[in-house]
Amino acid sequence: MREILRLSFSLAKTSFKLRNEGSYLGIMWYLLGPLALFFIILFVKGAAFPGTSAPSYPIYLLIGITGFNFFRQSITTSIQAINMNAGFIRSINNISLETFVLATILESVFSHIFEIALVAAFMIYFGVPVLGILLYPLSFLVFFPFILGAGFFCAAVGVYTTDLDNIWMIASQLLFFVTPVFYTIEPGTMLHTVNLFNPVFYFVSISRTLLIDRTFPPLWMFGVILGMGALACFVGIKIFEAKKRELAEKV
Amino acid sequence: MAGLEVKNISKTFHIQARPTEGVLSHVISAIEGRGNTWELRVLNDISFSCKPGEVFGIIGSNGCGKSTLLRIIAGIYRQDKGIVHAPGRVVYLSGFNIGLQSKLTMRENIYLVGSIMGLRKREVHRYFDDIVRFSGLKDFLDTKIYQFSSGMVARLGFSSIISFVNHKKPDVVLLDEVLGAGGDAEFKREALAKMEEFMRSGAAVIMVSHDMKPIQKYCSRVILLRDGKIAAEGRPEEVIEEYEGTAA
Repeated sequence: MREILRLSFSLAKTSFKLRNEGSYLGIMWYLLGPLALFFIILFVKGAAFPGTSAPSYPIYLLIGITGFNFFRQSITTSIQAINMNAGFIRSINNISLETFVLATILESVFSHIFEIALVAAFMIYFGVPVLGILLYPLSFLVFFPFILGAGFFCAAVGVYTTDLDNIWMIASQLLFFVTPVFYTIEPGTMLHTVNLFNPVFYFVSISRTLLIDRTFPPLWMFGVILGMGALACFVGIKIFEAKKRELAEKV
Repeated sequence: MAGLEVKNISKTFHIQARPTEGVLSHVISAIEGRGNTWELRVLNDISFSCKPGEVFGIIGSNGCGKSTLLRIIAGIYRQDKGIVHAPGRVVYLSGFNIGLQSKLTMRENIYLVGSIMGLRKREVHRYFDDIVRFSGLKDFLDTKIYQFSSGMVARLGFSSIISFVNHKKPDVVLLDEVLGAGGDAEFKREALAKMEEFMRSGAAVIMVSHDMKPIQKYCSRVILLRDGKIAAEGRPEEVIEEYEGTAA
């Protein structure tokens, strides 16, 4: 396990470095995407619905965008984790396939760290006490098992069908609008009920409560997201392990 | 230590005849009774053994299952039937440019390849000077390798991989068309000498090659694969004669 983690980290670090290689803006590109979306939504919402925002709305919005972005990026790269490394997989016999999935997820984590730094900078700018950011790892850690399980599941299925890429592209767009990224939802509404089955809802809600309200979110929220994570890990890793030896022949 | 033992290995691939077809085409094919996959039996009841210190050759025409057999022994592919008993560490080599990244410097690439080969940073560090010396590329340590010629890349790849494989002290070595290296004549000579030294290290070596010269020179026994079966087995000259006779 230590070997897998060590190599995953090394591959993620290299891939992260290579993505910035030859780019004038380098790591700024990780921030420009969410930042552009942030300003567009802020502008559109301000113009169309003035005075209807949640307290500290810019931070509320940015946490939603960066949280969702992390989820979307992790799954998108996981789908290709095995296919993209076909050369390695068929030529080296001492690398566990899990390494490639973990490396892609870790690379998303690296990008997310920069996004969180951006959130901290905006918290300072908008006068929200920045110390709340220290609590962020808690929401990240309870969400991570879900990312891990879903990542393994998608990596295995992605080898068998290229349709998964397209399905995920549409599904993630739908999920973006279903998740309260740029709007607020009240308990008792249909949208809230739908979101009770949405893991990203718990992630962004817990993050917002910790960072903006600086209070502890209801325990049941932790229970549900951890339960979803355990289920995702059980199914995802089990399927990946069952198909692992077959994957090298399919890529 | 006991050597490598391969017993009754069989492998069938399920080939997708029309992998790019959509659902509708699959439905129509099913209605018409046409299958979308066909079975290709690549290996059929293959058995052989290789003692420690022995170099064993596998020859045969393209697609006869040589690489598949090595990948099964290496644990990359799964056999349908049979047993592979490979004691200790098994190293599969199918090239020397594995893991090299053109946008990284030579120094970074050495550490990356070491990491891929399962070495820790401090272990790579131990071999670093030897790799640089053997490659003869000391002046290019901090140059990104997309600026290297193909010969220089071959030098770097070979020097790195061979050092790291040596470090692992493998018990079974599987060479899939990788004898020697690229680069100029002098480096090729040095690389071949290094490979010979490596083959004499006491590991059981399985060599797959289309080039009959190394098979004849290094192997003590050879098998010829044809239609998924062992068509001939014995001393290199006999089996090569059988292969070249049928190929002609």
